[in-house]
Amino acid sequence: MSRGTATYAAKRLLLVLGTAFVVSSATFLLVHSLAGNPFTCERNPAGCAHEAFVHGLDDPLLVQYRTFMWNLVHGDLGTSYVNQGAQVTPLLLKEAGNSLILGLCAIIVTILVGLVVGIVAAVRQNTWVDYTLSSFVVFGYSVPSFVLATFMIILSAILLPNWANSIGWGSPEQIPIPAIALGLPYAAIVARLVRASMLDVIRQDYVRTAWAKGLTGRVVIVRHALRNALIPVVTIGGPLVTGIITGSVVIETIFGVPGLGKEFVNSILNRDYGIVVGLYTFYAILVGLANLGVDLIYPVLDPRIRYA
Amino acid sequence: MSTITTGLNMGGPMAPPGTPEEVDYSVAPEQVSLWQDAWRRFRRNKLSMAGIVVFGLIALIAIVSIFWTPYSLFQQGLGDITDPFSRAHPFGLDASGRDELSFLMRGAQVALEVGLLTAVTTSVVGIAAGLLAGFFRGWVDTLISGITYIGYGIPNLLIAFLILFITNRPSIVNVIVALSVTSWMDMARLVRGQTLALREREFVEAARATGTKDFKIMTRHVLPNALGPIIVQATFLIPQAILFEAFLSYLGFGLPNPDPSWGAMVSSGLGDRFLAYHTIMVPALALLITLMAINFIGDGLRDALDPRQAK
Repeated sequence: MSRGTATYAAKRLLLVLGTAFVVSSATFLLVHSLAGNPFTCERNPAGCAHEAFVHGLDDPLLVQYRTFMWNLVHGDLGTSYVNQGAQVTPLLLKEAGNSLILGLCAIIVTILVGLVVGIVAAVRQNTWVDYTLSSFVVFGYSVPSFVLATFMIILSAILLPNWANSIGWGSPEQIPIPAIALGLPYAAIVARLVRASMLDVIRQDYVRTAWAKGLTGRVVIVRHALRNALIPVVTIGGPLVTGIITGSVVIETIFGVPGLGKEFVNSILNRDYGIVVGLYTFYAILVGLANLGVDLIYPVLDPRIRYA
Repeated sequence: MSTITTGLNMGGPMAPPGTPEEVDYSVAPEQVSLWQDAWRRFRRNKLSMAGIVVFGLIALIAIVSIFWTPYSLFQQGLGDITDPFSRAHPFGLDASGRDELSFLMRGAQVALEVGLLTAVTTSVVGIAAGLLAGFFRGWVDTLISGITYIGYGIPNLLIAFLILFITNRPSIVNVIVALSVTSWMDMARLVRGQTLALREREFVEAARATGTKDFKIMTRHVLPNALGPIIVQATFLIPQAILFEAFLSYLGFGLPNPDPSWGAMVSSGLGDRFLAYHTIMVPALALLITLMAINFIGDGLRDALDPRQAK
């Protein structure tokens, strides 16, 4: 890593931290400005007031904000009001682990399917293979993830009755179906990009040279063409991470995965302030880091790109 | 994209299968305007033309549903959810015994309203921001680009949820506002890039030399020349918005009853999946067909209008 790249990365890291600060502050203020509080007050007004007092929810908002941010910097997101007083930080970390497994499997699906479909469609351009795959791709990015997930549940119930009974979370054979449902729409986007940029690249002179040298098709396509074709594809790394996380909200709900996805909705409904702020801040940092990672991979793939 | 966007079309173009362009050089080509030329190229793309036909039909259904649906949306107990499809109820009934077709028709109206209005508001905001940033550069650009950058970092789901929660009254306007706030950045970036390139061109310099006001240069000289990519991007905003609205409705944050969003229909159908599958399949297929039709139109428009692709 050259010095220029290091400075660039450092600047971007600062920007990520800045975004995280803005997101956490905005989330904190917004979610506190919502009507209602975490405790059910209808049945037990006195207990409710007591709970609010114990958790400092009666303090002026700015005082709460200061305390909260101070704890946040130390990695402490406070107590969850809903989950029997569990600490938020370990709770989120545990759920993040499940989401991470599902998300990584989905990304593997996305990359594998996207690359293969894109390359094959490009190499067989304007044949029935290409037309079939291209139609599949339009289907892929048109189908909402929840529709795909629902279809897959119904299909697996019909085709694989034994497997369908095991829909849930906990054992390895339960991972593939939600991972495919989560990854496939993004595989379509990747495939579309790979096809377009492969078509650009395989017409270039150096690829013709590679053919002329008598290299085998696999070597020409994978070593020579694909390497350059991947550069524009890497761009979607950031949006891909965002999409997988957003998509997991639905997929985790449908498949009953105990991950972060369900908290996106539930924590706001429950006014579980610590979880809301922690979750969305984490998400903002993740998206920022993914984008930064993409920008740092560029110069590796294409030596012509350099950060001065 | 993205955004969630779900940002579903940050891709390069993928030409749908169609006939390749054939140019007959034996006769001198007649002079055609950019738009005529684009229309010609668009017409050759069969999938896009099919998309237009399907989209037109859906629009027609949506308009009809304003005035007439086979049954009232409030009319329950017309039959049982397990009843087979019949002439009286071509798509069967839902769990409360309401006519599925009537809901489907009104759902088309909801989807198109959300899709089209969001695309319009998003485009207006994005174009304005992009034009200002690209044309004035300097601190204006720094400010607007900074906002877009931070905007990308903030989860669109969060913004959408918070707007819907704070207003505390799900309505079509709130959904559209939530969608617009989270998706204008792509358009702003696109227009900014176009403007940055166009403002250096000779015709802009000429306009400036003749003392044309900045506003007029932006709207009369820069904007029309960037219109191709803008239209393409705006077309792809429609399915994005429909998808996101369906997603919100599916999670239970969409429109209130009895405004039937297809997303909400799939969601409630999922609850009845042990009784019947059609309450999931019918709205899901409607959603899928609509989104595919618009995406095909967008692909065709991209091939026809995007100068980077024109060959």
